[in-house]
Amino acid sequence: MTDSPKIRLDFQKNLGSFTLEVNCTLETKVSAFLGPSGSGKSTLLNCISGTLAPDDGEITFGEEVLYASAAKINLPPEKRRFGYVFQEGYLFPHLTVAQNIRYGQPKPRKSSAAIDVLEISEFLQRYPRELSGGQRQRVAIARALAMEPRMLLMDEPLASLDSALKERIIPYLHHVKDTFDIPILYITHAFSEAMALADEAFLIANGTIIANGEPHRLLTAPSAMPIAQLTGVENTLFLPVTASDKARGVTLLEIGSQSLVIPYTDIGIGEIAPVAVRAEDIIISLEPDLPISARNILKGTIQYLNVKSEYTWLSILVEWHHLAVKVTHAARKQLQLQEGSEIYCVIKASAINLLWD
Amino acid sequence: MRITPAEIAALALSIRVALLSLVFTFPLGLLVGWLLAKRTFPGKAFLNTLVMCPLVLPPIVSGYLLLILLGRNGLIGGFVYQVFGIEIVFSELAVVIAVSIISFPLLVRGIVTGMESVPLELENAARTLGASPVKVFWTITFPMAYRGVVGGTILGFSKSLGEFGATIMVAGNIPGKTQTMALAIFSAVHLGEDVSVYRLVFISTVVAFVALWLTERFTLR
Repeated sequence: MTDSPKIRLDFQKNLGSFTLEVNCTLETKVSAFLGPSGSGKSTLLNCISGTLAPDDGEITFGEEVLYASAAKINLPPEKRRFGYVFQEGYLFPHLTVAQNIRYGQPKPRKSSAAIDVLEISEFLQRYPRELSGGQRQRVAIARALAMEPRMLLMDEPLASLDSALKERIIPYLHHVKDTFDIPILYITHAFSEAMALADEAFLIANGTIIANGEPHRLLTAPSAMPIAQLTGVENTLFLPVTASDKARGVTLLEIGSQSLVIPYTDIGIGEIAPVAVRAEDIIISLEPDLPISARNILKGTIQYLNVKSEYTWLSILVEWHHLAVKVTHAARKQLQLQEGSEIYCVIKASAINLLWD
Repeated sequence: MRITPAEIAALALSIRVALLSLVFTFPLGLLVGWLLAKRTFPGKAFLNTLVMCPLVLPPIVSGYLLLILLGRNGLIGGFVYQVFGIEIVFSELAVVIAVSIISFPLLVRGIVTGMESVPLELENAARTLGASPVKVFWTITFPMAYRGVVGGTILGFSKSLGEFGATIMVAGNIPGKTQTMALAIFSAVHLGEDVSVYRLVFISTVVAFVALWLTERFTLR
């Protein structure tokens, strides 16, 4: 995309006990905001679309000021020309698909790139209630594009669909990205969607952006440390699911050439599971073959050793992931732990928690 | 049995007054209904109470308050008499005002119920698609609230047709001038004109039944 307008977000919004506070610039074609539900993602999008007024700050699109508390500027949503795709679609139930598409069109026209790209021409005469969930969402995306927006805002457009349907819609999103020369802001709680679509991802939690960067880089351990600080859990890992067994109640994650067993989750195979482990829940062993119930014995190397007054902190490299581990001085001495030692990290499956679904 | 010219006049007056009342109350009802269903503003509870009051007050009391307000010495009536030389009370206009006040809560109730059922999210979606608040109202809120609006309108209209207490207080019971169906029945009963009573009661019952049945047809799926 050539000289696309930068979107500058610097505002805050208070909603009861919750405060959203953002300060960032969107410079890439597709920016994703990634975070658990209740993290403030939808509030953020509503402030950008103009359906919700921030309390303070500024929002600019290129040179144009959309919101500025100091100058008392707050452009109404109909003047912003941002296409908005809602999680629930929000198609107008009393209008046909064709009428829904036409609703926002600046000039009525028979054909539209949006109709072609999303392949909805065959059900233009139907009403929303006569469509399947996936078809409805395609119409919602087409409706937002038909208004010829300056930017596309997407709020969890796939969240209400099951995983088989999601996989069928993602190619359409790629097609939209390639066909329409406008910035896209994509909000999701699913790592796989952010990885598949975004050029830059912003991690958001409790109303604050805690990290941003190219999605793949963002999801490797060191840069995700802010999440750990936020949650009080020292180790956060973003690992792909390799297998899942509901009957046995376990899911397998891939950590380099090794596997990590966690309690069952319905995250699809190949998708990324965000997991967290406390430093004190990891046991250090010198031997891999132990007669114990713990499901995970991961081979690693001690990178750093930091002796504090009460405990010794170890930074252990497992494949390319860093794990922080807390041991007593006595244990360090007895096992003769030092930087460069090859050890095994023993973790109970039940000590590994999903950060969010 | 033949219907008398006086009875026809009463029926015609009732229908004319109910229609005229609707001309005034419907646009106002849309505005008030929209305010109550979609807006938050200081004094909202007060406005709601004021609009709904005639529903719980005895119509005689509403009528008496109107009589005080619209009479030649009243706040509104006095002004109109001074400026235009028109006396409101005991005229057809008084009947229109009386039935408007009494039927308004029913009309507004229906409109509010209809508009409350239209999700704010759909209206916001329309705004993001470039629609002004006025366009959102006419293309989303109003058509989607249609059933409630129609229901409230028919209920309000039928209430207007049969209004008695407020009308007799503020407009009197003048045959050919302010005597509506309900008042005509009242007079006929008093004068012992049984046949006339039967005819008028029959007509009133049919009109009320059809109106309610239409309401059900439009408000239920």
